[in-house]
Order: sequence, then C-alpha cells, then structure tokens
Amino acid sequence: MSIALFLSVFLIAACGLIYELIAGTLASYLLGDTVFQFSTIIGCYLFAMGIGSYLSRFLGRGLVARFVSIELMVAVVGGFSSSLLFLAFAYTEAFRLVLYVVVILVGTLVGLEIPLLLRILKERIQFRELVSQVLTFDYLGALGASLLFPILLVPKLGLVRSALLFGIFNAGVALWSTWLFREQIGSAPMLRAGSVVAIVLLGGGMVFADRISSAADNNLYADEVIFSRNTPYQRIVLTKWKDDLRLFLNSHLQFSSRDEYRYHEALVHPGLAAVPGARHVLVMGGGDGLAVREILKYPSVESVTLVDLDPEMTHLFTTHPVLSALNEHSFSNPRVHVINADAFRWLDTNTSQYEFIVADFPDPTSYALGKLFTTAFYRLAAKHLSANGLMVVQSTSPLFARQSYWCIVDTVKQAGLRTYPYHVYVPSFGEWGYVIGSFAPYEPPRHLPAGLRFLSTSNVGELFVFPVDMQPVPAEPNRLNDQVLVRYYEQEWKDVAH
Amino acid sequence: MPFTRREVLGAPALLGLWRKTDRVVTGSFVNDSFPTGHRLRDHATFAAPKQQLRVPIVIVGGGMAGLNAAWHLDKRGFRDFVLLEMEQRAGGNSRWGENAISKFPWAAHYVPVPAKGESLARELFEELGIWRDGQWDDRMLCFDPQERLFINGHWQEGIEPEDGATVRDREQYKRFQAMVAQFRATGEFTIPIDRGLKPSPLDRMSMAAWLAEQRFDSPLLRWYINYACRDDYGALARDTSAWAGIQYFASREPEEKGPLTWPEGNGWIAARLIAKLARYIRSGSPVYRVARDGGTLRVFTEQAEYLAEAVIWAAPTFIASYIIEGASPAKGFQYSPWLTANLTLDRIPDQKGSEPAWDNVVFDSPTLGYVNATHMSLATHIDKTVWTFYWSLADHTPADARRLLLAKDWNYWKEAVLNDLERAHGDIRQCVAHMDIMRIGHAMARPAPGFIFSEERERWLKPLGNIFFANSDLSGFSIFEEAQYRGVEAAKRALGVLGRA
Repeated sequence: MSIALFLSVFLIAACGLIYELIAGTLASYLLGDTVFQFSTIIGCYLFAMGIGSYLSRFLGRGLVARFVSIELMVAVVGGFSSSLLFLAFAYTEAFRLVLYVVVILVGTLVGLEIPLLLRILKERIQFRELVSQVLTFDYLGALGASLLFPILLVPKLGLVRSALLFGIFNAGVALWSTWLFREQIGSAPMLRAGSVVAIVLLGGGMVFADRISSAADNNLYADEVIFSRNTPYQRIVLTKWKDDLRLFLNSHLQFSSRDEYRYHEALVHPGLAAVPGARHVLVMGGGDGLAVREILKYPSVESVTLVDLDPEMTHLFTTHPVLSALNEHSFSNPRVHVINADAFRWLDTNTSQYEFIVADFPDPTSYALGKLFTTAFYRLAAKHLSANGLMVVQSTSPLFARQSYWCIVDTVKQAGLRTYPYHVYVPSFGEWGYVIGSFAPYEPPRHLPAGLRFLSTSNVGELFVFPVDMQPVPAEPNRLNDQVLVRYYEQEWKDVAH
Repeated sequence: MPFTRREVLGAPALLGLWRKTDRVVTGSFVNDSFPTGHRLRDHATFAAPKQQLRVPIVIVGGGMAGLNAAWHLDKRGFRDFVLLEMEQRAGGNSRWGENAISKFPWAAHYVPVPAKGESLARELFEELGIWRDGQWDDRMLCFDPQERLFINGHWQEGIEPEDGATVRDREQYKRFQAMVAQFRATGEFTIPIDRGLKPSPLDRMSMAAWLAEQRFDSPLLRWYINYACRDDYGALARDTSAWAGIQYFASREPEEKGPLTWPEGNGWIAARLIAKLARYIRSGSPVYRVARDGGTLRVFTEQAEYLAEAVIWAAPTFIASYIIEGASPAKGFQYSPWLTANLTLDRIPDQKGSEPAWDNVVFDSPTLGYVNATHMSLATHIDKTVWTFYWSLADHTPADARRLLLAKDWNYWKEAVLNDLERAHGDIRQCVAHMDIMRIGHAMARPAPGFIFSEERERWLKPLGNIFFANSDLSGFSIFEEAQYRGVEAAKRALGVLGRA
C-alpha cells in the first residue's frame, strides 16, 4: 500500500516538473531570450504553487475525491499545455498571455497536490514518517524528470508528445487513486470514467501530435502542409490542395505543379534548342529536378551536371514518389550527375566547359544569395561556357521588380556577354523574367523537342517582346562590393506587398 | 532538510540553462613578443654571433615598412641585403593565422582603395594582381554589406549612427562632412602625409577640443569621431591631434567602394611579399646591438654579425635607443597597446534579422567590434566562421593599459571579450569554441596633439649616420601606406649611400 502511494508521489512530482520545463523550453524556442523565459516561468510557477498550497486549506470534506479531480485537471491542462501553446503561437497574438495563464493554472493545481495528499495520509501514517517519505519521493520524482527531460524526452518525443505522455501519467495516478482509496470513496464511477476519458483524449493527442506542429505551419501557407523539414540550409515545405502541389523554400514559392511546365519549358528550351548538338549541360540551383527533366528531352545531351547546395532537397526529389514522378525521375537518369555544393565556390574550383548553363537560383532576397547575381559570378560562369554556348539566368519578375530584372540583365552584360532578355506568364508567379547570355549572336530556335505543353516554334519568338510596362529602366550592375540588386529587390517587392 | 521543494523544482531548470550557456571555450595567449622585447630593453645577455658577414644593406624589422624596403631594393635589382626579423615569421602588424575554418588577421586587416595619387601602393598592387587591366579585382574589394552598427537593440547598415539620429544630429553630420570636404580641397591632407603636409595649428589641439570649438555637440557624431580615432589611432578623440583626426576623414576620396581586404587581412599582402623576398629574410633573428666602426655599421644577432654600409631601421622607432649605440631616446613617440582576439565559432549567432557584415561594431562599447574572416568567401551558406575582435584599450593611458594587459590572465580577457559581444549577440557563448588572444604592448603609433609637427619627429626623419629610419610611426600613425612609403624612401636613401641612387 505505502509503496504504491509513494510511487504516485514520485509520478506527480515528475509530472509537475515536466510541465514547468516544457513551458520554459517552449517559450525560449519561440520567443528567444532563454534566461528571461526560464526565470519568469520558474518564478510564476513557484508562486502559483504557493497559491495552490494556500488554497488547500479551503478544501474540507471529501479530500480523496478532490485529490482525484485535481489530478485529472493537471492531466488535461498540463498534458495539452504544449499543444495549446504551439497553436496559440501560430494562430493568436496572445501567446504570452496564454503562456502565463497555463503556467499559473498548472502551478496552482500542482501546489494543491502534496498538501492534500499529506492530509489524506495523516490518518494512516505517523506524521514524522509521512513527511519524510512524501518529500523524499517528491524530490526523487523531480530528479527523475529533470534527467529524463533533456536526455530522452526532448530529443526523442518532442515537446508536444512529452507533455501528453506526462498528462497520461497524471490521469493514470488519478485512476489508480480511485482504487487505492476505494475504502474512502467507494467505487466512484464518475471519477473513474473521467480518468478513462482523460487517458483516451491524451492518447489520441499522442497519435495526432504531428498534425499539431504542422497545423502551426499551415497557418503560414494557404494550402495544407504535407511535408516540412528544416535542413541546415533552408526550410523545405510542400503544400497540396487538390491536384496542386507547391514547393516553398524559406516561405518563398518555388513552383506550383499546375503551371511549373510554363516556367521550366521557358527556362530551358529557348536556350538549349538554339545550341544544336549540345552535349554537356550545367544546372546550378534547380534541386527540384524540373529543369533537368526538360534538358533530358534532348538526345544529344550526354551529361547534365546539377549543382545544388542542399543534399536533402535533391534526395527528396530523387526518392519521394510524388516529387520524383513530377521530375520524371530525372535524378535517377544515368546522364545526370548531382553535386551538392555551393555553386560559386564549385565553379571557382572547376574547369569544365559546357554548351548550356542554367542559373536557376532563388531570388536575391539577401546579400548571401545576391552574390550569385553579380558581375563576378557571371564572369566566372562565362569562363565555363563554350564559344557557341548559351547561359540562361532566372531573373525575377520584370513586372513586379522591373529595376531588379533589368539590373540582372545589365549585370550579365557587364560580365562581357551579349544579352537576350525574355519573359513568360506563369499564373502562380505572375510575369516572370529570364535572360540569355552568349558570346555569339543569338536567335530563337526554329525547332523544339516534341511534346511541349507551352512552347512552340510559333510563340517562342514572342517571349522576347516586352510590353511597355516591362521595358528597360536604368539600373546599375550588381557587384560583390556594391549589391544594388539586393536593395532594388527589397524595395520593389516591398512596394508590391503594400 | 538540506533542500526545499522549491530548490529542487528550480535547480534542474537552472541546470538546463547551465548546460546550454557555460560552454567550455579553449584558447590561450598567442604570439607574445614582449619577452624578447623586454630582454632587448633590459640589455639582457645575448649569445655572441657565430659568424661575421659583409652585407651592404641590412634591414631591421620585417613588418610592412621592412618588407617594402626589401621589395624596393629587389625591384631595383639590388640583391645584396638581408632583412632581420625578431619573430619566427615576418609580417609585423600584418601577421595572420589560419585554422580549419579560415585564415584570419592578427592586426591590420584592410587597405583603403588607393586614390590615383598613391602611385606606390598602386605599383605594388598591380604587381600582386589586385589591380589589373584598369580594374580592381572584385574578389578583393570588400563584399557588401561592408559595415554595420548595433544600436538601440538592433543592427543598422553603416557605422555612422542613423538609428535614433535627430534633425540636429543630421545637420551636424552634414556640417562636418562639408568641413571635411573643405579640408580635403586644401590638398594638405594626403596619403602619404609627406606629400601635402603644411604646418597647421590644428595639430596643437585635440580632436575633442576642435569638435567643441566648432560647436559639434551631437552625441552621435562625437561617438562616431571618437570611434574613428580609437579605430585608426588607438586613442580617444581627446588624446588625438585634431590634425590627425581630420586626416582620417579628409585624406581619402576613393574612386571605388572598398576597402581592399582578404580573409587573413593584410597578411595576404605580407604573405606575398614574404614569398617574393624569402631569400633575404632571416626570421627569428632579433638584432640586439648596432654599433659604428668607422664607416661600417656592425649589426649583431645571435646568428651573425653583419658588417653593413647602411641600415634601414624598420622596427618601431622607440626601440632604437635600446639597441643603436649613440641613439637618444625617442621622446614624444606614443604607442597604443592593443588586444586582438580570434574567436572560432562553430555556429553563427542569431543576427536579429540582419546579415553579418565584414566590420561589425557595437555602439557605446569600449571595444572596436569584430571583423568576420569568412566575409570574403564566395559561398552563400556559411555555418562556421572566425571573428577577429579588436580592442585598443584607449580608455587607459598607454602605460596603464600595458600593465593591465600583462596583469590579467587569459580567462579574464576571454570573459571581457564575450561579455562585450553579448551586448549584441545574446547567444554568443553557445557559439564560440575557441579563442586565442594576442597582446601587443606597442601596437600603433598614436598621433597625440603636437606630435605631427614636433621637432622630435623632425629629428628622427633624418638619418643617424647611415642608419635610415623607416617605421610608419614616423608618420604619427600606423597604416599600410605610410609604412610602405617610409620603407621605400629609406631604401632609396640607403641605395644613395652605396652610390646606386
């Protein structure tokens, strides 16, 4: 009997500490400033425990039933605390308020536990013995929890599941107590039923825990998030709505499966079809394999080298059934060589020559990415371009970011290449721009591969015609020591957003 | 009861904090040069030279002045000379280091893009391929963003404080810039200073006094100018000659956004000069005595005694009186002591929405901030780096600061550096794995009021017999271009002695 009792004490002590640690950790994750979060949460929690201890004096009759109800309340509030906090962060402005309300609520309930238990047990066990035993197991529970939390719970279960698991332990103690104290409270069907319901609810939470953290993501994206992963390089998110699959890198849309063919056909064919018999092709960026899919439509191409920074990205698009179907398994094609490297550095340490080079990088949203749109980069790329070869550059939108677009064109020109700017309409992106760079004069191709969905020999020439609202505006070339492009880009997209 | 429930509940959480924050940082003091320096000062006993060699020109000191003197001699086809360097490796204030992540500087880390008139710097840079086909190599021009300032809890681009600047602050910035433009137009503020130097009453007052006289009272402008004095001269505005303070701003009008910089700082230039001139360099050879014997100069090192016709003294001028027979103490020469630290970061600290710049400064810090060694990398993704942290200890007198540098242990300085960086990077302690610290007692010449136009400086500009002084401290401040100019000038005059002018 007494061992069972003290095991309960051990468990509730562990649970109490876990909720406190979870609140502190979660607040540090989401708000930063670890010292401040932990200090205030420990402070509030201990203060709330004091309130609980004080309130315990007002509880008179039916102590056991009260104890069980309090356990159930701790189980539900504590167990769902981290889920609630994640959701509060994603969907409300009041995260801090919810955080401290949860901490004070759990703290107050936990503060009630030990005083009530002491009073329940004082009839059975000598007081001296009782205080000693209860506090011993209380501390042992705290020790166990504090060791388990960083070593096992956070790395293996995560915050959402850890809280739910310990909620189940609390509810388990409640259920067990109805049996331990059956002499005082009888069969107590309501309390038992309540315990079972709490365990089922918390268990259900364990099963759907994944949905809770991705639901937090969902709020940032219009469609349902079906995949999200933080790699050392970026956050990869895939969303799906009906037949529309979308890829986001660091929250920037990369493609929509409904219209990506327009983007990728326009990226590859105006250039590659104009280099008859091209054998060696280089793609930088483009870890989704969709540009490579288009390139593989040319039988003359013997090798495609794809240089993308993120191995998880290329792995995903090699192995994921839906994604590899989208790029027609291009990464498994023996003609394709995938290299995971920083493109600028890779080019700098390499001497290979290519007849066609694709620079399909994310837009220049930072000085780091802006390096891939500089005179120095294009000069280096040009050294890898054969005399009759062509280079094509993804160049943001000439409509939304007109000066940025023409800045990229001027930068390619400054690097010593002839430039041939063109654009295409991609519904999910809007008007999108590219520029072809070459040593020799370029003319749009007269033949295209069979089976294209957007481009034809009759419309390819039209891509090179710019309506009045997208025509050239003056811009400085983008240079490593003066990245005007990053500033143009930030200003122009800010204007679009407002 | 040894613990209360409260303590047990609180302790593991605090334990969790402890695990995260108190990461062990390894490191030590490195490149200490004061033991040899103090032996020279105290006339300690050095071993007698093993051999006697007749070499027409001896260069003493392998910093930028000595290396450029050698560069000039070699370029003129004169091969019969040696360069004697006290340390195991030449480079002086352009020394550098390297670890698994990056090369990094130990002191001087940039050269402003030389203006058209600075023909000497251009000549060297053309030879090194930095200037080619009428263009600067764009991989050596500091990448964007060059500088940022942490002020009011966040980073702003540029070091001139913009955030929180009032109308009055901006008005004073403008007025200051207008005055600088006028000073520039006089043609008196040049690099090297010898080209345009004209006696000026500005040298008689401090930069702080000049600011007060001109009614510049904006706290932001004053901070900025004080920062500039600390950065270039290691001295506060109140300890800097107003002429020198203005020189910092008025001497340069770059045609290209710069400066020129490399991961290892000016070590890049030093390494190339050292490679080019290796056959002349004798490192690990402190010169402990220079004596005159008729028309011959006897230069003593433990390895050899050199019998020379001319000596180029490229070591700091204040050392001369300890070593050269008959040289009187260099009065009036002041030197700022510096502490530099290289921090190895295996994680990039939180940037609060900003992007790391090359030069990163914290407003109202007594230190000078840090330079990011991987800034000149072509990579778009950088997850490990090296920061070079600079601290000129300008709040103390140079003598006090030198005492402090030697009195405190590595752990003290490590904590001081981390505490300072913590102002801007709350998580810095979780990111730093290693920190080496270098203490330089006499790092930079300090242009105290009155020094530039002092008789004492004038005296040392003249040779002592056939000993020609070449250190940049003769210009009153330590920058690459002055060191190069002094070194080359001394080389020309030494050649003159040999009838090779």
